[in-house]
Amino acid sequence: MSVLKPFSKLPGLKTATILLVEREEQFQQSLADALVEETGVTVNVRLAKSLPLPVENEESRPRIDLVVFIINLTSELSFQSAEASLKYLDAGYFLGKVCFMVTNARNTLVPTNRLDGVRKLAASLQCPLLFAEDQTPDGVSNATERLLAILKVAAGLVPMATALYLSNLTRCTVPPDIDQPSFD
Amino acid sequence: MAAKLSLSGPSDSDTSSPSDQSVSGRSVNRSLRIAEKERRKNEAEDPFVLALKYFSDVEPGTPVNGNDQLERNLVCVEKVAYSKGLHPEAISIMLEFAMSLRMGSSPCVRVLKCLIPSSVVPQEAVVRAVVWLGIGKIPISTQVLFIKWVLTVFDMIDAKDQLRAIYGFIFSFVTEENLVCDDLGILVKMRVFRVRKLLELQSKVGRQPFLMHLLSLYKVFCPELVTLSIPSPMKNAFRNHNSPWKSALLAVQKRNGSQVSSSSLSLTAKDKTNSRKRKHCHLEVPALNSAVNKQAQTDSCSSRKVVPLVQIHSFAQLLENMHRIELPAQMGSLLGSSLTLQFLDCVQDESALLRLNSWLGYALHEEFLFCNDAGSFQNSEEALQFLEKLLSTLHFRQEGFSSIEVFLYKFLNAWDGSLLRPQILGLMSNIPVVTSSQIGQFLFEPLMQLFFTSSLFFKCGLMECLNNMLLKWLTWHSVYALEDDLDISLNSHTSINITLSGFKDSVMELVHFVGRLATVGLQLEGCHSLLLSFILDFYETVCDMFLKYGLPLVVMPPPGVFYPALFAADPVSVDRLAYIMYRYKVNLTSAKRQEKLKEQAFHISRQTFHEFNHYVVVMVNCLWNSKMFHQGMGVQLGEEVLLKSNVPQYSNSFDLIHHPAFLSYAVDFHQKCWPGRKDMDLNSIKHSKPWRWYLEYLFTQGYDGLKQFVQSNISWQPIAGDGGSDDLATQQR
Repeated sequence: MSVLKPFSKLPGLKTATILLVEREEQFQQSLADALVEETGVTVNVRLAKSLPLPVENEESRPRIDLVVFIINLTSELSFQSAEASLKYLDAGYFLGKVCFMVTNARNTLVPTNRLDGVRKLAASLQCPLLFAEDQTPDGVSNATERLLAILKVAAGLVPMATALYLSNLTRCTVPPDIDQPSFD
Repeated sequence: MAAKLSLSGPSDSDTSSPSDQSVSGRSVNRSLRIAEKERRKNEAEDPFVLALKYFSDVEPGTPVNGNDQLERNLVCVEKVAYSKGLHPEAISIMLEFAMSLRMGSSPCVRVLKCLIPSSVVPQEAVVRAVVWLGIGKIPISTQVLFIKWVLTVFDMIDAKDQLRAIYGFIFSFVTEENLVCDDLGILVKMRVFRVRKLLELQSKVGRQPFLMHLLSLYKVFCPELVTLSIPSPMKNAFRNHNSPWKSALLAVQKRNGSQVSSSSLSLTAKDKTNSRKRKHCHLEVPALNSAVNKQAQTDSCSSRKVVPLVQIHSFAQLLENMHRIELPAQMGSLLGSSLTLQFLDCVQDESALLRLNSWLGYALHEEFLFCNDAGSFQNSEEALQFLEKLLSTLHFRQEGFSSIEVFLYKFLNAWDGSLLRPQILGLMSNIPVVTSSQIGQFLFEPLMQLFFTSSLFFKCGLMECLNNMLLKWLTWHSVYALEDDLDISLNSHTSINITLSGFKDSVMELVHFVGRLATVGLQLEGCHSLLLSFILDFYETVCDMFLKYGLPLVVMPPPGVFYPALFAADPVSVDRLAYIMYRYKVNLTSAKRQEKLKEQAFHISRQTFHEFNHYVVVMVNCLWNSKMFHQGMGVQLGEEVLLKSNVPQYSNSFDLIHHPAFLSYAVDFHQKCWPGRKDMDLNSIKHSKPWRWYLEYLFTQGYDGLKQFVQSNISWQPIAGDGGSDDLATQQR
């Protein structure tokens, strides 16, 4: 029952570590395969079903630069699990080192208020919320690219940019309801 | 084959009671029968044909329970239906069997569920079935199922004139059964009394989603009748109403896609529309067909003086018949040809545009925001083609549809940034002017999140898209601007009226937004020259807003764009920056002149002039005077720091000779100018004569922007003997 801390360990040289948290453990595998293909920097990918992470590996675990919560919108459990995991992160992570990635957002089976719930959660934590098309190879590679862009900044590999700076630009906001009658 | 025969003699069977079907079937000419015999010989053993024969001949009151023959035949028909679909005669036979309740209501539902047409549905069969509805023995759930079936296959019904005659009858089901589906609005013709009845009904049962949906459809058709405010045209109350058949239909059509067209050859006399429709193949733009069928056309042309759009083949014809053109049954078909779009453009009737808008909004939402599990990527080819067609329509019309706008605002909030990127960005650049109060929420927030987390190519794409958007807005402005009251009526059809100051605010918001994106984007991407090039594209539009488009607004680029362009390592960027600054100068001077000329002319703020002068001074000092780090320049560094850097003659390092972008030209010039010299002294170019040659050499390399900038900003007389150069940055104020 330990809380994950962002600065408790030293960073590696030209190394970035990303932690993918997904309850269903479907999308994280294909993402991880694509992420480690990156040649510019060494990318370590750690996978987890939920937080907290087990105590046993704590010594060998590298410093985690970015925590990504993957939420499958078709399942309520996926959202609840991510929400429950949040409290095992140190507050320091919420300064730009956490992001949410949502899949199946355009699915007809998704109740609209669930997406709103995720949005509100991400907005309240001032984290970016990314959408991903996990069904197509293009979608996966695009999601990978976007995660890498954030990861590089979060790991301090991009000069003149910090995680907090980027997350300040990309943090989620709750969009207005376009269906409101006031909208013309 | 009785039903086939009854098909060929439709008019009498329609009016007579349904039970004399077999009688009317016998009155048929002999030759047809002989040909039929031939065919039947071959198919005599076909169990499907036998099954159909069974269903057409079975006696009323035959028991259902334990009837193996029925079971066997039904299974056979189902198998064919789900694999190949049923041909028109089979549809007639099975529908007749089911609706007549000859064997009770239990097989009825089963038959209805497997009625999947392979090509078209004969209108007669539907009309007869509706007649059976009136008998009143059919359970309500089955009636509902039948109506849903009709709606699903509505596009495949070969003619609709007789169906129209009984719309009122169908409409009565709304009140009796609370059965409304979204397409009923298209089915049921607009009538004032119907709307009243609906409103009445609504006050009785409250705001039911399906009623609201139908009313919203009516509102689209006939806005003056429905005054109620309806939340959104697209809250789909009946998203899956036709699901029992939709997937099966899709599968059947996919499987014999080519077959359909070949079998339709025999039906060409009837209709061409059995190709494929949006309903079944989702995003196909429907073929143009009129609401009246072909046979009736000759009559209607003479009596009602209506010309279906499908008969118009040339622009001259269009002009001739402009006043009596009948809109097609499906508005989506208008997207197909330029002729119909021309018609749409000149037609005074708003309803045509509203209907098309409604159809578009529905199609876009259904296919891109509410996907089925696998649908999204199976149909990506279709989606691509549909969007391409939509884009070409937009280019043709030079005007957007509001439904696309609403769709995009929603889609951007769930977009991953790569799905159909070129098409989505294309649609986005066609968005009409958004008021400055809304533009931030609807457009900038989602775009900002996408921009900063996406790849370089997305950033470039978005820059291009925003540039196109600005170009469109400015073009609209220059076309629609009204001189007298400074009012702009943009978008003649949807009649969005924006005041000039409102429009200026929107443009200003957009330019500032791009400035923010560009500044941080260049920073994150390490001043990538590709991104810089797209950003400079945008500012090439911005700097000419006053002269080219008559918009009295001048916005300077932020330092985050100016300095990366000035210090860029590629000469093209510096040249383009010089061109942009030159155009700013031309715009500002002419604005100044106009301001003096007319008292009431607009006012450009001191701040803008100040910024412009500052930039020009920096550029001239940097490129020309070698006074890079002087007091009052943009870049200020302490003397000690500069000395510590060990750069010799640091103040020279960004002049036209030593600038990283032009160094290679200087070296090349030096070699050409003094071919014999062993030691290279670039500073010798600075002398008056070679400096002039060097400039001319640079200008012949195609750096016109630089040339214009130098000629307009620097009054420069080469004075012999003077090593430096005279300069004067012309000051605007």
